[in-house]
Amino acid sequence: MSQAESNGATGAQSGAPTSPDDRATTFQPVKGEAEHYSGEMLLVSAYAVLWVIILAWVALVWRKQAALAVRLGDLERVIGDAAKKRGS
Amino acid sequence: MASRPSLQDRAFYALATVTAVTFVVEILFIFLRTPVEARMGIVQKIFYFHVPSAYAMYLGATACLLGSVGYLARSSDASDALALAGAEVAVVFGSIVLTTGPLWGAKAWGTFWTWDPRLTTELLSVMIYVSYLVLRAFAGDGEGERRFAAALGILGASILPIIHFSVQKWGGQHPMVITGRGGGLQDPNMKIALSLGFLAFTLLAVVLLWARARLESVKSRLRRAEEDAIDLGLDTRAEA
Repeated sequence: MSQAESNGATGAQSGAPTSPDDRATTFQPVKGEAEHYSGEMLLVSAYAVLWVIILAWVALVWRKQAALAVRLGDLERVIGDAAKKRGS
Repeated sequence: MASRPSLQDRAFYALATVTAVTFVVEILFIFLRTPVEARMGIVQKIFYFHVPSAYAMYLGATACLLGSVGYLARSSDASDALALAGAEVAVVFGSIVLTTGPLWGAKAWGTFWTWDPRLTTELLSVMIYVSYLVLRAFAGDGEGERRFAAALGILGASILPIIHFSVQKWGGQHPMVITGRGGGLQDPNMKIALSLGFLAFTLLAVVLLWARARLESVKSRLRRAEEDAIDLGLDTRAEA
């Protein structure tokens, strides 16, 4: 138990008011080994990222193509109307 | 009656089908036949698409370079379309590299990111292609903007050799698994998995480049047709 924890516990048990310093805790890094990550989770995340990026881009291209099809349809309609007017 | 697909369309769909099949084979091979690496464990399997993604990014960047040089030499829509498609493909695959690499690094190095020369130059390169796309999206589509973007495309490609040789030149933490002396893949199935990865990502890069360049080329032709229609007194926006 750390010094701060032992001070805090003693203070709480005795019922005496504790100062912020007494209640302070510390964040200490793990010593001796690196932080542990699950290999399976990282692998699944990497595969998910791969497909999300590719599919998002394909969806974007799909949308652009749909917008282009609308513009092409408009142009064809205008040209068709003009051709009818010229014919009549 | 619907028109029959052209030879080019059929070739495109055939290539897309082959690409999809290659990906399925690649994924099955990675998980069913390729052994788990002794020190890193299962996370090493990220390697089989992380490295091919980097290679596919190089393909996109090379297409952008060729298109940009072509556009500066002869201002054709096809060259500009190739440059834009190449830049988008470079960003897509570069983003995959920059996300899958740190996921591997979290396990192998104990950290997601470090300012290693290879990682830093890769990030710089992707940012150049992102700036290319931002320029194309927001600065208009005039001749001047296209030429400026072409210069940016050439600048982006100039970073590629720096990325590639950064490990040899400046060291850093990034591993060098594929070397001229046989490389570090100890099992034949590991080599097959990586080769399949290269094949799958090459095909995917070609399919994406083809689809995107065709779309951009059609867009340029359509814009010209709309301008011609307006010149002839047919206001497409008013009547649409």
